[in-house]
Amino acid sequence: MNDKKILTFAFMDPPFESERTITFFRLLDAALEKGAHVRVFAYEGAVALAFAKQQTHGNAVHGRDNAAENHPLTKDWILALQKKAASKALGFEWINCGLCVDERGVNEVVDGCGRGGPPDLWRYASEAHNTLTIGTR
Amino acid sequence: MSHYLFVQSQDGFTETRTAQQFQLAGQLQEAGHNVSLVLVQNGVTQARAGARTEHFDRLLAQGVRVIADEFSLRQREIGADDLKPDIAVGDVDVIIDALLAKHKVIWN
Repeated sequence: MNDKKILTFAFMDPPFESERTITFFRLLDAALEKGAHVRVFAYEGAVALAFAKQQTHGNAVHGRDNAAENHPLTKDWILALQKKAASKALGFEWINCGLCVDERGVNEVVDGCGRGGPPDLWRYASEAHNTLTIGTR
Repeated sequence: MSHYLFVQSQDGFTETRTAQQFQLAGQLQEAGHNVSLVLVQNGVTQARAGARTEHFDRLLAQGVRVIADEFSLRQREIGADDLKPDIAVGDVDVIIDALLAKHKVIWN
């Protein structure tokens, strides 16, 4: 990791439910655009953001098939951010809270996302230039 | 003097706790700190001209810098011309700028 600044984000919202998830991903993208290394500690419902078995679906009510619906998946956003970070020689680390993962049975995650616990959040926050915690309320 | 940036996602119409959130921001400003507010998500609704938001309006009167997220405004079909005076339109990158400047950034 080079001498760019590290920003840590702690996030707990699940995919497909809250507008906070959209804002959170916009912030990650903006951080990379600003040249910062990004570290994410995902806990509670947010551990499902990286779940590898997320699937797109059609929308029969609106007469759209799978391709036309083009349903966004958070696992794909994570992969896209990983790619963007790599193209800028920036770090993009993601750790899911292991207990939260086990509770939800979402062990299969996309490559580049790891498993850990609160000590990782402490390490991330301690080593970061700054940390933003996004609570559910 | 410290720099505080509050990311305000909650709105005063459905979240009563925003009264205390705005009071805290106002008190920090009164204490001589540099306080900014970035409105995101439903937080932008209280920026509309004519919106009756006593605590939020008090912050504007105090001179707290307020920025409304353009993306959130656009999602709600609120234009820059629809806003109360002294509210700037910006993007979430101002939040990243604050983090990189080591300001205290608090999510509400």
